[in-house]
Amino acid sequence: MQLLKDASIPAVTAGFVAVLVSYSGPLAIFFQAAQSADISSAMMTSWVWAISIGAAVSGILLSIWLKVPVVTAWSAPGTALLVTLFPELSLNEAVGAYLVAAAVIFTIGITGSFDRIIQMIPPGIASAMMAGILFQFGVGVFVSLQSVPALAIGMIFAYLVFKRLTPRYSLVLLLVVGVMLAVGLEGASLKGVSVQLAEPQFIRPEWTWSATLSLAMPLVLVSLTGQFLPGMAIMRTSGYTTRAKPIVVVTSAVSFFTAFFGGITTAIAAITAAICTSKEAHEDPEKRYVAGVANGFFYLIGGICAGTIVALFTSLPGEFVAILAGLALIGAITSNISAFAAEKSHLEASVITFIATASGVNFLGLGSAFWGVVVGALAYNLLHRRFR
Amino acid sequence: MKHIEKGVSLRHAPRDFVRDLNVDNASTGLVAGILGLSVGVVHISAGTSAGLDSSFIMIWVISYLMINGLFGLFVPAYYRLPLPMANSIPGALMFAAVIPVVGLEAALGASLIAGAISLVAGLTGVMGMVMRLIPMPIVMGMVGGMLLSFGLKMVSPLEGAIVPAAIMILAFFISARLFRKIPPLVVSMAAGLAYLMVTGVDLSGVEATIRFPEFIMPEFTLSAFLTYGLPLAIILVGMETPAGVGLVKGMGYKDVPANGITAVGGVGTMVSAFFNLHSTCIAAPMTGICSSPEAGTHDKRWVAAVIAGAIFVVGAPFYGYVVSLLEATPGYFISIIAGLALMRVITSAMSIAFAGKKHEMGALFAFLIAASGIQILGIGATFWALVLGVVVSMIFETKDFDFLLETSKKRDAPESTG
Repeated sequence: MQLLKDASIPAVTAGFVAVLVSYSGPLAIFFQAAQSADISSAMMTSWVWAISIGAAVSGILLSIWLKVPVVTAWSAPGTALLVTLFPELSLNEAVGAYLVAAAVIFTIGITGSFDRIIQMIPPGIASAMMAGILFQFGVGVFVSLQSVPALAIGMIFAYLVFKRLTPRYSLVLLLVVGVMLAVGLEGASLKGVSVQLAEPQFIRPEWTWSATLSLAMPLVLVSLTGQFLPGMAIMRTSGYTTRAKPIVVVTSAVSFFTAFFGGITTAIAAITAAICTSKEAHEDPEKRYVAGVANGFFYLIGGICAGTIVALFTSLPGEFVAILAGLALIGAITSNISAFAAEKSHLEASVITFIATASGVNFLGLGSAFWGVVVGALAYNLLHRRFR
Repeated sequence: MKHIEKGVSLRHAPRDFVRDLNVDNASTGLVAGILGLSVGVVHISAGTSAGLDSSFIMIWVISYLMINGLFGLFVPAYYRLPLPMANSIPGALMFAAVIPVVGLEAALGASLIAGAISLVAGLTGVMGMVMRLIPMPIVMGMVGGMLLSFGLKMVSPLEGAIVPAAIMILAFFISARLFRKIPPLVVSMAAGLAYLMVTGVDLSGVEATIRFPEFIMPEFTLSAFLTYGLPLAIILVGMETPAGVGLVKGMGYKDVPANGITAVGGVGTMVSAFFNLHSTCIAAPMTGICSSPEAGTHDKRWVAAVIAGAIFVVGAPFYGYVVSLLEATPGYFISIIAGLALMRVITSAMSIAFAGKKHEMGALFAFLIAASGIQILGIGATFWALVLGVVVSMIFETKDFDFLLETSKKRDAPESTG
């Protein structure tokens, strides 16, 4: 089978690390949303099951079909939006809004207007937005130097050494050394983790105007600008010319079904995609799709063991995850910053985009990635564009 | 002293000034002077966000204009070249950030040492050495990261002020596009003040005061030197001077006194240290304006720089009015102005750090560490950014260092014979 022939350890590791990163960072926001909605742990398990299965099914399907590393995940900015809306919003209303959002994104996808939107955005602006999103992860590594100096120094040192000696396996080795350091230095214990199968719970959707305006519409916007746009930008930067249409259509179709079990919109991944599309996943771009498949596979396992996954990742210190995520993204941060710094024709607009996105501000319930693009596009048109 | 270039002379300067004065250099000098005045906003905002009290911020800004302005009168007049003097913006931000940590006197002591280093660098002509040890992209990565951490702080106050923010930012963009002579920052500030008046913000508490620089005795501590003094010296010698000299050379001036400028900047910075000010050096953005073709014929552009210096000196005692005015405005106002002022500096820092494809990894580490604002062993992020940036670059980009070594040898050769 072609997939097995193309499979490689770095690609599978990249897929695994991408899942690891996305369970640790973005999932924490989802937990906050769950806390503000005050739901049971069984319901939370169902949510995690739904988003994992959504990412698994769409990621595996698309990666095998398109032969490119398509990494999908739940909409991280969307979950941030949820935190502010619960508990005024009921669970049933939320599911109703998820369904509306999925339908709208599906329409945008099937009519092919997304590619047109993407093509209108200057390359420097897209890279700058991506760099802005990833920036905090990079800074996080060095912020950890203050709280857990030994672990941080050990992991940074390990990263530099492995990266220099065996760039291909640096992530695997960093992971192993990092876990050892976390257990040895920070006293992390892996004992409280047991295997349990997740049971999805059906939630009856309820449609209301208020949920449509305050959740569904913003969810569409943040998913397009905060997930699909940077996600597609990463694919472009890595040299993949895949059209957005199949990806938008498949992920939104999957979202429609997972919504009934509490899964928020599934989209192409913004934060973790770079791990699977970069050279770290495989030297040959033609074989990096394995990373996308592996990513989906690990999500599948994660979904089945949703209850376990929570216990597993909370047992490792938060700083460990922050350092690992930051170091894994160093390459992506460098390439995005250099990409927009090299676009001299609209550098100033790119820097504005970068600053606005990196600031993490939240205006009117819309995330900084959205505002980064809005302000950046405005600056581009006012400062750099030549009018006839 | 053999490395210090000889200038024309100061003896006939006043007479020559009147002889060479014309509409072109007078108007560009005015533009440069106004730009320099508006940069005081960066000091005010950096000081405010670092929690420094407003009476200190006031004498800091007044010293900036007065001392930099005095040097700005004499340096261009002596060399008869468009060499306006001001201070280092990255230096100002580091200065404001380090004062709460080490104390004002220790910070000024570190400035004094940085000035001495710059003076020695000018006297001995070792500029090239510094550049070789710490590559420009890494220095600029550090500068960019530090500026960015300030720039990001400027964005969050805007959450509650979308309308005025939109007006001021739009005014900035549009004026940058349409008017070439008026600094966009001034237009943006005017638009913002107009908005405040229309919406009825109370500005009646604003008062005009006349203040002069005040003397202070610096102190010396190692942590202040490592966190702030050493990075400042590297910025002065390795970045501000080469940037200014490069601009003047780019405008077609053949003999630019690089060592003289470095040495004078060193003396100026040492003097600054006794008057609550962090540095004096050639000012790249103002140099760009004064040495441009818009300032008339080559031999008369020095007049523009002298005029900019005069505007500084005359404006200094009255700048308290601007400080008082800005303090009366809502918090977002100064954030927007300072953010816009910093944006251009961040742009050029990031462009130099990352567009050259050399020392990329080192520059990124320096950038991220400086942006993180961490403090280890009592020493600030700027120091660690430079150290780790160079170490990482040596591990990963050894090639880039070898290349630099070769080219800098080639570059130094004609200079030492000339």
